[in-house]
Amino acid sequence: MLIFDQLKKNDPQLRIIAVLLLCGLGVLVAGLWWVQIVSSREYQAHLEMQSFRTVRIPAVRGKILDRNGIALAENRPTYNINLYLDELRKPFRAAGDREVARARAVLKQQAEEKQRQLNRKLNKEERKQFVLLLRDQNALRQRARYEVASNVVAEISQRLGQPLILNRTNFQKHYDQSLALPLPIATNLSPQQIAVFAEQCTEQVGVDLSVQSTRFYPYGTTAAHVLGYLQKDDSSAEGEEAYFSYRLPDYRGLVGVEAGYDKELRGKAGVKSVVVNNLGYRQTENIWEPAQPGQNLLLTIDYELQRKAEKALHIFGANTRGALVVMDVHTGDILALASSPTVNPNDPIQGISPEEHARRLDPVLRPEINRATQENYAPGSIFKTVTGLVCLEDGLDPNEIVNNPGYYQFSNKKSKHVGDLAAPGPYNFYKAIVKSSNTYFIEMGLRSGIEKIIRMAKRLHLGERTGLRTQQENPGKFPSLERVKSDWYDGHTASICIGQGEMSVTPLQMAVMISAYANGGTVLWPRLVDRIEPVDPASSAQPTVFEKGRVRDHLGAQRRSLEILREAMREDVLDGTGASAEVPGMPAAGKTGTAQVMDIHNRTTANTVWFASFAPYDNPRYAVIVMVEIEVNAGSGGRTCAPIAHDIYQALLERERGGTNHVERVAQAR
Amino acid sequence: MFDGFLSESQSRIDKLQLAAICALMLLGIAFVYSATMVTESASSAPWYNQIWIRQIFWYVVGLGAAIAVCLINYHTLARWALVLYWGNILLLALVLVVGTVRFGARRWFDLGFFSLQPSEFAKLAFILAQAHFLSRPEEEVRSPTIFWQSIGLMILPFLLIMKEPDLGSALVLLPTGLAIMFAAGTPKRYLFWLGGGVGILAALFLVDILFAPPGWWTIKLEDYQRQRLLVYFGASFAPKNASTAERIKAAEQERTKSYQVRQALISVGTGGLLGKGWHQGNQTALGFLPPGAAHNDFIFSVIAEEKGFVGSIVVLTLYGVILFTGMRIAGHARDRLGKLMAVGVVALLFSHVFINIGMNIRIVPVTGIPLPLLSYGGSSVLGSLIAMGMLQNVYIYRKAY
Repeated sequence: MLIFDQLKKNDPQLRIIAVLLLCGLGVLVAGLWWVQIVSSREYQAHLEMQSFRTVRIPAVRGKILDRNGIALAENRPTYNINLYLDELRKPFRAAGDREVARARAVLKQQAEEKQRQLNRKLNKEERKQFVLLLRDQNALRQRARYEVASNVVAEISQRLGQPLILNRTNFQKHYDQSLALPLPIATNLSPQQIAVFAEQCTEQVGVDLSVQSTRFYPYGTTAAHVLGYLQKDDSSAEGEEAYFSYRLPDYRGLVGVEAGYDKELRGKAGVKSVVVNNLGYRQTENIWEPAQPGQNLLLTIDYELQRKAEKALHIFGANTRGALVVMDVHTGDILALASSPTVNPNDPIQGISPEEHARRLDPVLRPEINRATQENYAPGSIFKTVTGLVCLEDGLDPNEIVNNPGYYQFSNKKSKHVGDLAAPGPYNFYKAIVKSSNTYFIEMGLRSGIEKIIRMAKRLHLGERTGLRTQQENPGKFPSLERVKSDWYDGHTASICIGQGEMSVTPLQMAVMISAYANGGTVLWPRLVDRIEPVDPASSAQPTVFEKGRVRDHLGAQRRSLEILREAMREDVLDGTGASAEVPGMPAAGKTGTAQVMDIHNRTTANTVWFASFAPYDNPRYAVIVMVEIEVNAGSGGRTCAPIAHDIYQALLERERGGTNHVERVAQAR
Repeated sequence: MFDGFLSESQSRIDKLQLAAICALMLLGIAFVYSATMVTESASSAPWYNQIWIRQIFWYVVGLGAAIAVCLINYHTLARWALVLYWGNILLLALVLVVGTVRFGARRWFDLGFFSLQPSEFAKLAFILAQAHFLSRPEEEVRSPTIFWQSIGLMILPFLLIMKEPDLGSALVLLPTGLAIMFAAGTPKRYLFWLGGGVGILAALFLVDILFAPPGWWTIKLEDYQRQRLLVYFGASFAPKNASTAERIKAAEQERTKSYQVRQALISVGTGGLLGKGWHQGNQTALGFLPPGAAHNDFIFSVIAEEKGFVGSIVVLTLYGVILFTGMRIAGHARDRLGKLMAVGVVALLFSHVFINIGMNIRIVPVTGIPLPLLSYGGSSVLGSLIAMGMLQNVYIYRKAY
């Protein structure tokens, strides 16, 4: 090469120098190759770490709709005013400079004064104490920033006519930790405030309006337990980007369908990247990955019926402790699932008052639990239907007469006898159901034996969860075949026969049981969610539809036995304890019950009263279970629960008759 | 085809070298623009205050000065060598007294519109004087007296510049002086002993800085110089017996001191093969590369970030062209004086390029020296263009006309 010509020349010194130059350039090329090609990725990572901040943007949560499309949980825009600190950089710096200059001037004056006192020039050491330290400068600038920001806030506050205060600690914390994000100064603006802001504050530098999607339950407490509620939680869900510099507020369902279907409702959070400069101020931002909105959840609940059920359940006012379940006996659809007392799911989002907080912790009311699925109760006399069915299957002649002396005496004379509230006299199966005779069912139950009752209970899946994904189910209990092999006496069996003793159930389990009687012996999985569908109707994603009438088990009872049982239950409503449940046009069949709640000393401390029923008698469609917790002898299944069931049947009748009206109402509601 | 071009009779100047110089100046304008026009306040400044316009101004002035240098036969220049040398020594002494202090160093004469940095010109005067001094017959050069005198010629400006302090500018005098001495035919054993001596001294000096136990006598260095060395060798700032508070303070200092180097490395490294594109480098735009340094000593990291490895190689190639055409000029020079001048200029240019680019990729410690022809700065641009003029001068007057 021409440039290297001199290397050939006969001048050894120049040749050596040229070789050294070549080596030097070679070292630089190698170094550059190492830094720019080999280690490029590593430096890229450094760069990203120092100049990118990732922000998690929560997805819009899916709606929860009733079976007719009425939104029970939706999202509402709420408006906030944010302070954008990056836009305030100029005033920050100007104010900081002013402060520093002022402090310097003061120090200079002090130094001059000192000079005058000493009557000589200060030496180097002495001058040092009149120099503004970097740390003091930073403190002054920090204070100046706060003052600039708080002046802006005061201005906005005056315009909006709402006292807003910028907390110094919060401001500093935000400045130090989340400088790249806007700082909210006013949240949840009223429409007037939004208008005022839009009209008067737009030219104000550094503030802007932002919209945020907030969960809202338009009907407040209605279906609160089914819906559940949310809790602040901005952590990454599974399969999501796990590392973020910042996270915007997000919520997670804690109980109810909000929790059970949280993954589907929640959608997928998006990622926003903010480029920051060397001081951490926001420079630009863009969306790396948009958030994917959650899917809508269509429940089997009928809003109108649910509302009426809750109203009917409040027989002793809002603090009535009870539960109510309305279930379609063929499909397993839960049309209403009420629990009282109740809570407002809007509270955790909008803030819980101290009084409400105290109420939520009340050990007697316990408003947060879902009494229809979460609490276990002794079924009392409504369980006599199971005992009766077992006996009928075992060959009991329903017309066989048992003489009731007013109590049941075990063959072992030492055992205490069991009292019977039914009057003494002769009892057949029908009369025993209608009058709810303990003696009859203990006698017959003992005759058939506990094992057969256990087998029937097993087919009803008592002591097992019904599989709702609401995270508020307790299975209850029922003795197993193992359990009765030892340490089990007739007394135990007698208690089970009348729905007391070592067993407990949930109202929902009772609804499944009654449905099985009504539909001819099929034990269903209750169905609470009809479908999960994408928000965008044009989306190609297919909705997930849950199967109707999913069979869990069969009672294995003969048709005749079920017919006898249903007939007896019908008589209970016609002229028995459940008479007040009768609605013309919706003939019901049912069984009342009063269970005793015992303390550890075997004393009755409270009663659980029940009315378990289905209707219409000749062509059953609905199972209605009502359960209320009362003081000892403050009511009974017939007096307390049957009238509630009456209201429900009335509502069901209206619902069937007023089908067209209903659709119109729904249309209006939308 | 280059034979005709190179057949000396026609070509009066080295056009290839001139092309490389012009290319570097164009790059200089483009990237000084890119490095400074990042903030609103910078781009809204009046045009005569914009840094890239000023850079063009200095290029024009520098080219004028270079042409002026070319017009005078280097023999005539050399006659004034000692006058120039002592004049510059005087200026170096003067700047220590009346110079303005910036970043803790007294290196500049404040001339109002422009700060003059005399060390930039002292380097050139030194090359001229050293070349002139050693241009005597080779037999004389072999004598120890001449050897020691030429060392003295080198040490005087070295010490004065060290005193400012400006370690980088002082250090480049050493390879420059040694290269001239070597090319002049100073016996190798002298240079060997000199090189060895300097090496051992440097090693002792580093050991003293890095490992001296507290209380021992240490070489007096400005704090920032000591810290730069500590940063380069990754040593802790804290003395061995420091308290926790002192250590925390030292660690904090370490972080801020290593900041520039780290940011420069990130700039260069993220350039990758092709770079992010002109004016697209975010290290400068986001202010991570200190705005005061990006267009000065760290202009190379701006180029490397925006144009990548390819851009870096282009820059290196352009310098390579200047260096090797410089060596060719040395080889073609009419006499020893011309050869030594050319070697001196080449060595000076190379030292600047090596140290500056080297500090951008962390193979040499940070010493604030500019990248000739590219970095912003009046003294640097003027100095390097005059140096180029000296090279061309040797080329132009390679024949006795």
